[in-house]
Amino acid sequence: MQPEVPSYMQGSTRRVGIMTDVHRRFLQLLMTHGVLEEWDVKRLQKHCYKVHDCNATVEKLEDFINNINSVLESLYIEIKKGVTEDDGRPIYALVNLATTSVSKMASDFAENELDLFRKALELIIDSETGFASSTNILNLVDQLKGKKMRKKEAEQVLQKFVQHKWLVEKEGEFTLHCRAILEMEQYIRETHPDAVKVCDLCHGLLIQGQSCETCGIKMHLPCVAKYFQSNSEPRCPHCNDYWPHEIPEVFDPEKEREAGISKSNKKPLRSRQH
Amino acid sequence: MPRGQKSKLRAREKRRQARAETKGLEGAQATAAAEGESPSSACLPFGGEPQNLPAADIPSTPLAPQGAPSTTNTMAADSCTYPDEDSSQDEKNATSSKGTKGRSGDPLNDKVVLMVQFLLQKYQKKEPITKADMLKLVTKNYKPHFNEILRRSSEYMELAFGVDLKEVDPIRHWYALVNKLELTFDGTMNNEEGMPKTSLLMIVLSVIFMQGNCAPEEEVWKVLNMMGVYADRKHFIYGEPRKIITEDLVQLNYLEYQQVPNSDPPRYEFLWGPRAHAETSKMKVLEFLARLHDTIPSAFPSWYEEALKDEEERARARAAARARTAAAMASARSRAMARNFSHTK
Repeated sequence: MQPEVPSYMQGSTRRVGIMTDVHRRFLQLLMTHGVLEEWDVKRLQKHCYKVHDCNATVEKLEDFINNINSVLESLYIEIKKGVTEDDGRPIYALVNLATTSVSKMASDFAENELDLFRKALELIIDSETGFASSTNILNLVDQLKGKKMRKKEAEQVLQKFVQHKWLVEKEGEFTLHCRAILEMEQYIRETHPDAVKVCDLCHGLLIQGQSCETCGIKMHLPCVAKYFQSNSEPRCPHCNDYWPHEIPEVFDPEKEREAGISKSNKKPLRSRQH
Repeated sequence: MPRGQKSKLRAREKRRQARAETKGLEGAQATAAAEGESPSSACLPFGGEPQNLPAADIPSTPLAPQGAPSTTNTMAADSCTYPDEDSSQDEKNATSSKGTKGRSGDPLNDKVVLMVQFLLQKYQKKEPITKADMLKLVTKNYKPHFNEILRRSSEYMELAFGVDLKEVDPIRHWYALVNKLELTFDGTMNNEEGMPKTSLLMIVLSVIFMQGNCAPEEEVWKVLNMMGVYADRKHFIYGEPRKIITEDLVQLNYLEYQQVPNSDPPRYEFLWGPRAHAETSKMKVLEFLARLHDTIPSAFPSWYEEALKDEEERARARAAARARTAAAMASARSRAMARNFSHTK
């Protein structure tokens, strides 16, 4: 039983999909998790079918998601697909298009905490490696708007960001969580139009990646992996100079499953590269 | 790869369309609102080309801080459609959007979008919602349309998310978001906690029951592990199972988690919490267990007996409570009558 979609919900001329409880349950669970890897998303989808419509054929994930997105379109929300910068895992998150979802943070954090995030974000974007050291971030504590924050407090706030999946910490340095990149790409591009780095291959926002030492272009690790796959003499796509970095492997979901390790617990194998 | 080519091209195309059709900030906002399309052009400060925008203004708005909850929501409202938080700007935009309403008539959609985002946040955080909070989202010019905005928002919540906006207190105008999809057994468990936890809770309650109403933590994990739920692993439905059963459900009074007395190294055990006792029963949990094993409660004779006894006790307690209430009401009535009688004398 599905109510007819009222006309004001039909944003574009594209045919609006039909939402069933399968889709709704899927949305609810995806929302709860914030961001999910593709493998988990597929399991989630199957679970939702099992629970709400066990006799139906499980729709292809891409169509399933497009269906949901067509209904969410007029709300300026969509299920967005991305890829983790360090090891190329496909991920999905429900993002706000209209308010660039930084406002998702606004209700969880105080003014000075949001400013701390903004400062950390700036350091991350300006850095060569895509990481900002804890020390450098904490040194900016005096410049924060709002209530005065001590360094000790700021350390805890940074951990809070990690818990809420906005930042990731590695060996005392912070970078953006893949969820943050997915949700804030638009916002980041618009607020840092000069400092922001872009991948030469996919033209997407780049926080971590490899650079050509000759001409300076940058590429995402998964983009490098795909581009140079089984190429014994990798060369820069821009200046043709020899590509000096280790070429990562293309992410293979099958291998992951065989290894049988939990996705979220697995630490990326590759070290950060410039 | 990050955002797919198709979706990027679509967004870019829409932005170009929107810009071609209108001039300036307010116009674009009105058009987008009217057309109900182009996600990015609806909020030009964040969707438009960077060079049109005063870069200095933007950073402050999206990360609008939370003063009091109501302030946040106003900020969230403003950050969508207006370049700064000034309410006079807000009214200016509202007026102009009203003026260009002729397009295909839906300037209310912006407000509905904001309301839905607000409701989603509240739902995620399991916070109650007051009418006052919702009214704050709606700027002066749109207040007369509040009921319509609320109605449409509720419809969206139901249609897209399967969540019902219910007025739980008509006097103080408190609302709650209830998950329509929750698979509850006779709806006895409170819906508002968020759907993934309930079946997990039921399983833990049943383990506790089976272990003689107090279960060592190891036993609980043994059973959960059999279902593929592990303490140290994120679960694709339950998220963080360990946190849910040792913290969240304890905080909500469904479970009690305590150290086994004199245990060294410390071990822990689970018991039913007061809320579990209030909202479900041993029989209901046994029924759940029976369903899981595709059988009936009496297939577990000793537990069935215990559950029956529990049912009898509850029935007796209910009867006693009813008797007390009736007696209290009777005495209150007689006192009132005596008073009236003495007054009318």
